[in-house]
Amino acid sequence: MTKLSEGTIEALSNGTGVNDAVLQLVNIRKLDGGNGPSRFRVMMSDGRHTLSSFMLSTQLNHMAEENILAPNCICNLKRHVTNILKDGRRVVIILEIDVIKPAKDVAGRIGDPTPYTEGQSKGPQSAPVPENRPPLQPQNRNEAVNRGLNRDFGKKAPSVMPNTPGGSSKVVPIASLNPYQSKWTIRARVTNKSSIRTWSNSRGDGKLFSMEIVDESGEIRVTGFNQEVDKFYSLIEAGKVYYISKGSLKLANKQYTSVKNDYEMTLNGESTIIPCEDSCDVPMVQCDFVSIGDLENRDKDAIVDVIGVCKSVDDISRLTTKSNREVSKRTLSLMDMSGKVVTVTLWGEEAEKFDGSSQPVVAIKGAKLSDFGGRSLSASFSSTLMINPDIPEAYKLRGWYDKEGHAMDGQSLTEVKGGSGGGNTNWKSLSDVKTEHLGHGDKADYYTCVATIVFLRKENCLYQACPSQDCNKKVVDQQNGMFRCEKCDKEFPNFKHRLILSANIADYGDNQWVTCFQESAEAILGQNAAYLGQLKDSNEAAFDEVFQHANFNTFVFRNRVKLETYNDESRIKATVMDVKPVDHKEYSKRLILNIRKLAANH
Amino acid sequence: MASLLDASKPRINCSMLSQHIGRGVCFVGRVEKVHPTGKTFSVSDGEGKSATVELNEPLEEELSGIVEVIGMVSSKGVITTTTYNILREDKGIPFDLELYNEALKVIHDFPQHYPFEVAASG
Repeated sequence: MTKLSEGTIEALSNGTGVNDAVLQLVNIRKLDGGNGPSRFRVMMSDGRHTLSSFMLSTQLNHMAEENILAPNCICNLKRHVTNILKDGRRVVIILEIDVIKPAKDVAGRIGDPTPYTEGQSKGPQSAPVPENRPPLQPQNRNEAVNRGLNRDFGKKAPSVMPNTPGGSSKVVPIASLNPYQSKWTIRARVTNKSSIRTWSNSRGDGKLFSMEIVDESGEIRVTGFNQEVDKFYSLIEAGKVYYISKGSLKLANKQYTSVKNDYEMTLNGESTIIPCEDSCDVPMVQCDFVSIGDLENRDKDAIVDVIGVCKSVDDISRLTTKSNREVSKRTLSLMDMSGKVVTVTLWGEEAEKFDGSSQPVVAIKGAKLSDFGGRSLSASFSSTLMINPDIPEAYKLRGWYDKEGHAMDGQSLTEVKGGSGGGNTNWKSLSDVKTEHLGHGDKADYYTCVATIVFLRKENCLYQACPSQDCNKKVVDQQNGMFRCEKCDKEFPNFKHRLILSANIADYGDNQWVTCFQESAEAILGQNAAYLGQLKDSNEAAFDEVFQHANFNTFVFRNRVKLETYNDESRIKATVMDVKPVDHKEYSKRLILNIRKLAANH
Repeated sequence: MASLLDASKPRINCSMLSQHIGRGVCFVGRVEKVHPTGKTFSVSDGEGKSATVELNEPLEEELSGIVEVIGMVSSKGVITTTTYNILREDKGIPFDLELYNEALKVIHDFPQHYPFEVAASG
């Protein structure tokens, strides 16, 4: 009979666990993790004792699912880690385990093991694990704890278990919070509190607010809805420390936050929030700063924390949003020791209050990275903006900037070449397009230019298209009152007019033949295709006048060029993707900038 | 003063006034204070500096906002107006005086690229 490694259970429970222990699997139970992967809780025996607080690490789930790990099998526990909860309970995570004798080859339980009880008496544990001892997700949290420790800016030496306040409740670290335990208290500082947001949809109305809290072990996002807003919103102040207990935990939606925690918390009817007086060892903020130079390697839409010196700041501008709200906006350039500069956009009150004089150190937690102009950052409503924060990074930056940084020009990740909307605005003149051979490569090239329409071809600018919603294919006139669409393979008694407009546009240096499809053609002509179709047949003079009127107007064109080959002949085809009126202010600024740049390089 | 309108009238700001004494100029600025007589008013340019503008006849209308004055610079640095236009701010895009000033500096920094001189006999 295979000999079990007696004494292993006791050793594991005391934290002196060894590897390569031979144990018998007594019981294995699957626990549904909700959104996450299932977890398997295992009870093992060493012949002397049993212990039910073993958890299979998720990468070994297949062993349970394929019944390799089954009750009574003998195993060699090759690798494990032990986690201790604040209340003293221990969990052993099985990282690597080999089955040395399968269950079917084992008669029954070896020896007469009794459940191992630790210091506090818990009573005998029955083989099926009772509900009120739910398992944990320890691996993730271990990392979170370590990260929290590394990033801690607090004044005292960080410890995983913070001091209990002298009251009766024991405080656990944020890093240990999970959906399976409800009776906990944490002590944390609020780093960021959002404003109250309301919504109204078919299911009713509601309001919510959210905040981010931090302690020595990590950080977590907390949301309160409806009644909790009324209960807690005015009580909570950013920067202050509170005891919080009995919130509900669920898997975090990482899309909206840079907070490093797999879970996020929702306040419910049982949650309590009490101010804490003794708060000096709770850190102020948890940030994982990304070097500005590194931003190029991050994906767009990533949420990042950055810190740098504000080299320059622009004036406030005001925009009107699609919902006709006026909002203030201000951009600043941020530089750090990588020598790279990035443009940061601030909104609303933050934009208005921002004072960039004396080049302060600016840190932003949870800024949104965008690919506008290459790479740029935006402070959203959930970002936290800190000016000259009291953290070591800030002092380092200040020292570096005063010594060398101030003299550097810095290389900007954000193209300053005018920003009309998203995407990389690649301004070219029409002669540039030809001299730079745009469109000659494998892929099409896109460019933006300011040009004037000098000719519009009104002949054959309209065609008869399939009347179906998403089909624009030209229909064949069957001459019997019906029109056939080959793509839809149907006949219709009607068609819709669509535009394909051939035009010649020019600037000071060169001209270019372009094709404009429906939207851009309608924008240039100032009339819609259906109307023009009618006009052509009914009033030719008026039809001609539309083209006269449209001629010699200047626009900002965004064009696509590509070399196309037809029967041994290659020609550059240019298509207008978008047409916009010229923003003269932006254009002037860009011209002045380019002139100055040219002069400086002389 | 009809001949003034035939000659070239470079666009200037306050810092360029002294270089154009006795010459026709075009000055764009924001109306600051109008003298009670209506015969003179002050304007500020894109750099915030002020100049005085004199008129032949008193103003018949309310003057405010951005104005373009064509006239001659006197020895005292005052612009005697031949004609003026008001650039209305309630229509279209508001005039950006600071941007105008930047453009002005470019024109004066690179006169070889902005040959505005018109032949006097022309």
